[in-house]
Amino acid sequence: MATKTLQPGRAAPAKTSGRDRAERRLAFRMTAPSLVIMALVAAVPIGYAIWLSLNQYSVRTAGLSRFVGLENYINALASQEWWAAFGQTFLFAGLSVSLELVLGTAMALLLNLAFKGRAVLRTVVLLPYAIITVVSAITWQTMFQPNMGLVTNVLSTLGLPGGDVVWLGEHGYAMAVIVMADVWKTTPFAALIILAGLQVISAETYEAAELDGASKWQTFVNITLPLLRPAIVLAAIFRTMDALRVFDLPFVLTRGANGTESMSMLAYTQLRENRLVGEGSALSILTFLTVMVVSVIYVRFAGGNIRDVAKEEQ
Amino acid sequence: MDLNRPAFPLQSQNNAAAPRNRKALAATALAAALLLSACGGGAAPQGAEQAAAADPASGANASGAVNICGVKDASGIYKGTAEAFTKANGKVTAKYTEIGATTDEARTQIVQRLEGKSTECDLFITDVIWTSEFASQGWLLDQTKLVEANKDRLIPSTVETTKYQDKYWGSPFFTNAGLIYYQKDKVAKPESWQQLYAEAAKAPGNGYVYQGKQYEGLTVNFLEMLYSAGGEVLDDQGDVKIDSKETRDVLNFMSDGLKNGSADRAVLTYNEDPARLAYESGDFGYQRNWPHVYRLLNATPLASSFAVAPLPAWEGGKASGVLGGWNLAISAHSTNQAGAVAFIDYATSPEWQKHVAMDYSQAPVNEAAYSDAAVLQKMPFATELLASVKGAKPRPISPVYPQISQAIYKNVYAVLSGTASTEDAVQKMAEEITTAKASF
Repeated sequence: MATKTLQPGRAAPAKTSGRDRAERRLAFRMTAPSLVIMALVAAVPIGYAIWLSLNQYSVRTAGLSRFVGLENYINALASQEWWAAFGQTFLFAGLSVSLELVLGTAMALLLNLAFKGRAVLRTVVLLPYAIITVVSAITWQTMFQPNMGLVTNVLSTLGLPGGDVVWLGEHGYAMAVIVMADVWKTTPFAALIILAGLQVISAETYEAAELDGASKWQTFVNITLPLLRPAIVLAAIFRTMDALRVFDLPFVLTRGANGTESMSMLAYTQLRENRLVGEGSALSILTFLTVMVVSVIYVRFAGGNIRDVAKEEQ
Repeated sequence: MDLNRPAFPLQSQNNAAAPRNRKALAATALAAALLLSACGGGAAPQGAEQAAAADPASGANASGAVNICGVKDASGIYKGTAEAFTKANGKVTAKYTEIGATTDEARTQIVQRLEGKSTECDLFITDVIWTSEFASQGWLLDQTKLVEANKDRLIPSTVETTKYQDKYWGSPFFTNAGLIYYQKDKVAKPESWQQLYAEAAKAPGNGYVYQGKQYEGLTVNFLEMLYSAGGEVLDDQGDVKIDSKETRDVLNFMSDGLKNGSADRAVLTYNEDPARLAYESGDFGYQRNWPHVYRLLNATPLASSFAVAPLPAWEGGKASGVLGGWNLAISAHSTNQAGAVAFIDYATSPEWQKHVAMDYSQAPVNEAAYSDAAVLQKMPFATELLASVKGAKPRPISPVYPQISQAIYKNVYAVLSGTASTEDAVQKMAEEITTAKASF
């Protein structure tokens, strides 16, 4: 992992003396309780899921199980369903996260302006994020209901395209609704993280730019965006990880129809509906690995620069 | 079980101390995983136990408390029956515990209790499609003797929903069958599916709404037509029979219906409630839905213009349908089996079955109830409902039913939405059902 690049200014440890060792032992003893808790909370369930994924549990005979090694993984990776879900999940994550970052940055810039009632507005914009996803999904479903939904009605009244489309019943359109629902809900979250990034950029930098005669656009492109990058990357990591695990939106809106089945939905169906515990666990672990690989890539190629960028610009 | 929630934020924040601690963490995790894997193998009980059987005579001397568990009691029937039974019996006290807001949630909750051998619930309210799955796992008490003793008062098709491998694992409580609601001022009474579809395509306001979303309801809608066309999913031996001319005919028929305007494309997003709401707008001629819709429609401006009919026949075939409804299953871990038997005796009695219809608008499992004058007054469509119930058949009986149903509704949906040809879908359906049946 990118741990090295993330610790600038930390001197390489000198030769270890006896005292150092003692101190290290003490440090280990002091961190041991939290390590145990972390192991219980994070590692044990994951370890258990891995164990489940290496077995098959009979759906016909009570209590019957057999160890199958990697068979569940091989079957999953050979199946069309997994790769379809994989592609669809990435399409969803790519679309929704890019939109959220662009809109989130715009929203953050607006919220950063000085105006009356700013504090109140900053709280209010979080409202969509506070709504339970299933509830907001049902609201979106109602809005796109053919014949009587708000959106379809408005579109057809205005004579715009899309008024006579069964949004949740068509490929592409269904994905669009799911992306919209996600963007609507989580843009404020991205905006808040980016806003925090905006607030640490010192006013002096802007004053200097103004003295040098930089235009608003130049200031934005050459100062705001580079300095904002760590915050944007952070927002991107959080949002991508969430988006790759998406479950509730497609579950409520389409039940996975029309090219919207996500990796998590597939795992749920096998695990819960079909009670194929081994197969479902393998899918869960594959989802988990996918998310992990993506976040490692993020940290390595984008996140590693978080401090460097900040340092260079200082 | 949220097994796939990773713990990344912790990692990226704690990285200052990571290199050294990671080893320790890995060691702890490994130890924990080994420990778990060591006991994981032994934790599973070996082999199915011989299921115990319920004694029909035991109900008479029952006493104590009986806890009935199931889905949220929307119509009040479960609590109502428990109260009436407690009052009538005098010795046994029954209470109803809601353990899930939706059918899916209730199933998850019931499975958890059964897997954990919980003694909390004596009786479970089970969906007709759960019988084989639960029975195959040895979770239920064998009710064969009890069902045999009560057989003369139960409608045979409803009893069949509790059967798995020649034994009965539950008693039917109330049943359910699809009905056609139609606007008698606009369209003709449905006699056959072909006539219904033709009539629906005649004018824009005549359309047919059904449940076409990719879910269990689509399996039901499809099977209702398939059964009436003479097709089947599995035969009596359990062999896969879906790859047939009938399946192709029905799929082509349904998909043509969406193209020529018999049914609005919006049905591809409808489950029960959206279908009802669309129909209530008055823009449609026919609706396929369950009996509970009757009461709701009566509260709308359509009250005077709609009528009810049993599901129609396939042209040249006979009318059929798919049975829904709920059964009473005794938990294998119940501590008051006699009390549970007493409750079943009461709930399925001809007298109480009338209340099932009159007080809760549900379809009784006792045939005489349908012709009772008091029932007919409260449920004027009882005759049509009985016709639907008697003609209906259970969904495929198999412990892997959820997988079979997915194979059906996903492939039917693919044809209806235009992403797969009938031929490909039929072959895939047959393949997937065969694979599901071969599940370990």
